[in-house]
Amino acid sequence: MPHRYEEVERRCPRLGGVVSYEYCRHHAAEKEPCWKILDCWWESFDVVGLLTRELGEEAVNRIANTRPPSKAASLVTLIQQAQKRCAED
Amino acid sequence: MTAKQILLTADEMPRRWYNILADIKMNPPLGPDGPVPAEGWAPIFPMNLVEQEYSTERWIDIPEPVLDVLSIWRPAPLVRATALEKALDTPARIYFKNECVSPPGSHKPNTAVPQAYYNKIFGIEKLTTETGAGQWGSALSFACSQFGLECKIFMVRISFDQKPYRKSMMQTWGGKCVASPSTETKAGRDILEKDPDTPGSLGIAISEAIEAAVSDTSGKTRYALGSVLNHVMMHQTIIGLEAKKQLEKVNEYPDVIIGCAGGGSNFAGLAFPFVHDKINGRDIAIYPVEPTACPTMTRAPFVYDHGDTAKTTPLVPMHSLGHAFMPPPLHAGGLRYHGMAPTVSQLIDEGILEPKSVTQLAAYKAGVLLARSEGIIPAPETNHALACVVDEALKAKEEGKEKVILFNWSGHGLLDLAAYDKYFSGDLEDYSLDDKTLEESESVFADFPKPERLTCR
Repeated sequence: MPHRYEEVERRCPRLGGVVSYEYCRHHAAEKEPCWKILDCWWESFDVVGLLTRELGEEAVNRIANTRPPSKAASLVTLIQQAQKRCAED
Repeated sequence: MTAKQILLTADEMPRRWYNILADIKMNPPLGPDGPVPAEGWAPIFPMNLVEQEYSTERWIDIPEPVLDVLSIWRPAPLVRATALEKALDTPARIYFKNECVSPPGSHKPNTAVPQAYYNKIFGIEKLTTETGAGQWGSALSFACSQFGLECKIFMVRISFDQKPYRKSMMQTWGGKCVASPSTETKAGRDILEKDPDTPGSLGIAISEAIEAAVSDTSGKTRYALGSVLNHVMMHQTIIGLEAKKQLEKVNEYPDVIIGCAGGGSNFAGLAFPFVHDKINGRDIAIYPVEPTACPTMTRAPFVYDHGDTAKTTPLVPMHSLGHAFMPPPLHAGGLRYHGMAPTVSQLIDEGILEPKSVTQLAAYKAGVLLARSEGIIPAPETNHALACVVDEALKAKEEGKEKVILFNWSGHGLLDLAAYDKYFSGDLEDYSLDDKTLEESESVFADFPKPERLTCR
């Protein structure tokens, strides 16, 4: 049985494997916790309360309410970013 | 012996895919600067696939070379789940499409094979992609090997380390699987420079796969995606088209259709041909199933709390989730379905599909029940559909109705046994942590007065 929030694990619906809370909190996305962190962890513990204490209510509301861009939009953005990186090289 | 499997001959395999865009209205795909023109996809997809992405033709012919490869395992069996029916003592008649029988063990090659084919005839020599747990990477490696294409897979490092046999599978089919972030792209090198020990993420892996395609100045490399896009959903409809023919053979038609829905492709593959019937008046309940999402804040317990962590502000009534909060019976409004295929989201929005959600533990419990009754160990994502099947079968028992339930067994879990180990050892249970952090979070509201619940009547 884990003793810290960071150690608890569950299946990640995006990756398809088991991950720790620490992964969702710090590694799944570049700047903020994974956008699904509340959906995935609320069953296990008070993730909303924990993140509110760590990041503040505004940040938690942003995670809860921000929708990621559509797949089409994110692919187009990634194409543009990749083309830019290639041009810089 | 009573036959459990309903089989089609090779001659009976569907020759056309069903394109749901002929029957529903969709907004055009939006990029950051507005609608994405077809040529906007040219750096990563061949134009023959882009044409399918935008097509509104109801039926699209499946090319013969694609049928030849699909015939390695298709038509896939439709199975009557008699052992499950007996285990649940239900009057429901339960059928499933067994997509575990493909070489990589899931439904994914139903689109990997045509994608590899269309790239090949467009003159492409190499495909890149990303993979999480490895199902899609395995499927694309298999498909590329069938058409003589190179395949490069960027696998998120955390999964790469957890699932070494997925990499072996991809290598066996000739795919080159590298842990992401890698040193092979600028995106990967930049991340590794900042954090050499990063476990990676899907976002980074996608960036690397796209860069690997875009940076090939010969123009012979493209990218492949295994979910979400319209042409992917269409390629998967062979599942539902086969199921319809198989049910006809035993004079059945489903009352309820169930599939797990992450990106939506296995669900869409089974359900869309029946959605066509529902649009034309058939009475069918169609359930995409996802993990239970966080309830909206307004459904959380209503308590007084400080507005700041330092507790310097006055107590204000607000909604807050406690760890003992019970899940709602239905998904919170479908609003969290934004990671899903636009066609599936659209049908949810129109009320044609009714989303369901199940908890992680209910999903694994159902998976074990199915493994012990029908014999196949399910992929963890399939377990979500199975939990819903069990619920519906028990509901039919309560109501004394002989419903026909059809679901998609989207993949086997033989390379996911570590997850089952964690389930059996209790590591995926809900937690009762006794450390300081938990005490603090639990005690926050203990001595606070509860606000009066006021209503307008």
